[in-house]
Amino acid sequence: MAIEIKGIQIRQILELNPLKILKIHNEKWLSNTVSHPRPQRPGLGLTGYLKHIQTGRIQIFGKTEIGYLLNLKEVDKIKCLKNYLSLKLPGIIISENIPIEPEWIAMAAHSHTPILVSELHTAPLISRLNAFLYQYFSKKIKLNGVLMDIMGQGVMLTGVSGIGKSETALELVNKGYQLIADDITEFYIDFNDDLVGRSNPIIKNLMEVRGLGIINIYDIFGASAVLEEKKLNLVINLEKWEAKKKYDRLGEDNFYFKILGMDIPLITLPVAPGRNLCTIIEVAVRNFLAKKSGIKTYLEKKKENPDENIDLSHGSR
Amino acid sequence: MIEKTQIIINKLGLHARAAAKLSHLANMFNANIFLIYNEDKVNAKSLLGILTLAASVGNEIILQASGDDEQEAITAISDLFNRKFDEES
Repeated sequence: MAIEIKGIQIRQILELNPLKILKIHNEKWLSNTVSHPRPQRPGLGLTGYLKHIQTGRIQIFGKTEIGYLLNLKEVDKIKCLKNYLSLKLPGIIISENIPIEPEWIAMAAHSHTPILVSELHTAPLISRLNAFLYQYFSKKIKLNGVLMDIMGQGVMLTGVSGIGKSETALELVNKGYQLIADDITEFYIDFNDDLVGRSNPIIKNLMEVRGLGIINIYDIFGASAVLEEKKLNLVINLEKWEAKKKYDRLGEDNFYFKILGMDIPLITLPVAPGRNLCTIIEVAVRNFLAKKSGIKTYLEKKKENPDENIDLSHGSR
Repeated sequence: MIEKTQIIINKLGLHARAAAKLSHLANMFNANIFLIYNEDKVNAKSLLGILTLAASVGNEIILQASGDDEQEAITAISDLFNRKFDEES
C-alpha cells in the first residue's frame, strides 16, 4: 500500500535530521509546514522577481543572499525583504553561521517565518536537506519479503509464508552476506531515482526462525552482518515446486516485478527437497551480474551464429 | 473476501507473545489473512509483520481474510482477541 505524505513541520525536520543548527529565531513558528521535497535558494527572488519562489519550500540563504542584502541601500533592503517575506515562507535557514541584522528577524517574525542559523556550508546543507526530504516525501510501500545484500546487489526474497525465506536468508547471513530487513521491507524512491529498501525500525536486525524464535542478527553475527538500507536490484520469488509448471530451462525469459512504478528483474525459483537454495540464489546473483556486465547467455550466442559450434569453455563475451 | 473490525482489549496490546499466538493461529488456515491498522496492512501469518503495527489497547484494527476457510479464520482470530490472548483473566 503506497503512502503519500503531505507535509512536515520544521520542528520535525530538526528532530529527525540534525542540521547543526546553532541558533533559532522566531521559535514560535517552527510548527510551519514544508510541503515540497526540495529546498530553495531565493536567488532573484530578493530582487523582486517572486514568480518562482514556491511557498511550500524551505529557503536557504548563503553568502550570496546575505551579501547582496547587505550591499543594498537601507530603504531598498527593507522593501525587498518585505516583499520576499510577504510570501509567508515556511522557514529560512542561514548557512555558515553568517551574522544577520536584528531588524530582519523582527520582519520575519512579523510574517511568521522562523530563521535558523546553521554551522554547515550551503552545499552540504542543501544536499542533506534534499536527501532527507526526498526520503520523507517519497511514495513508500511495504512488501512482504527479506531484503539482503548479496555480492553488492540488493536482493529481495519473496514467497508465501512458510516457504523458507527466513531460513534461506539465515544461511546467506551465515555465509557472510548482509541482512537489511526480514519479513517486511519498506521501500521508497530516493533522490537518485533508485528504489531503496530498509527495515521497519521496530523489527530492525530481527529475524524470525521457526524453532529458534526471534533472533537478533546484529547480536549474533555482529555489525558486518547487517545494513541500514540498500538499493533493490533483483527480486527472487520462492515457490513450491509444481511438477506441471514450466520453469525457465534455458535462461532466456525476462520477468519483472513492479514496485512503485519501477521494473525490477524477477527470478522465480521452485523450492523442492534436495535443492540447495542458498547456493542457487548465490549463483542466480552471479548470473545476474554477468548478464549486467554484458556477458551473453548460451542462447544469445546461438542466435547470433546459428551454424557455429559454440565453444562454451571460453568466455562468451 | 470478508472483513471484520476488531478492538484490542488486552492491556499489553499486540506485544510479542500475543503476536506469536496470533500468527500461530493464522498459520492454521489456508486463507490469506491480513491485519489493517492505520495505513499499514500486514500478513497475519508473519510474526514480525504484526509487531511492526505496534497496536495497543483500545486501538481498532481490521481483520481481512480471503480463501476457502475465511469465515472460520476470522471467527477464530476475533475470538483470540476477545479472550485477551488467554493472558488476562
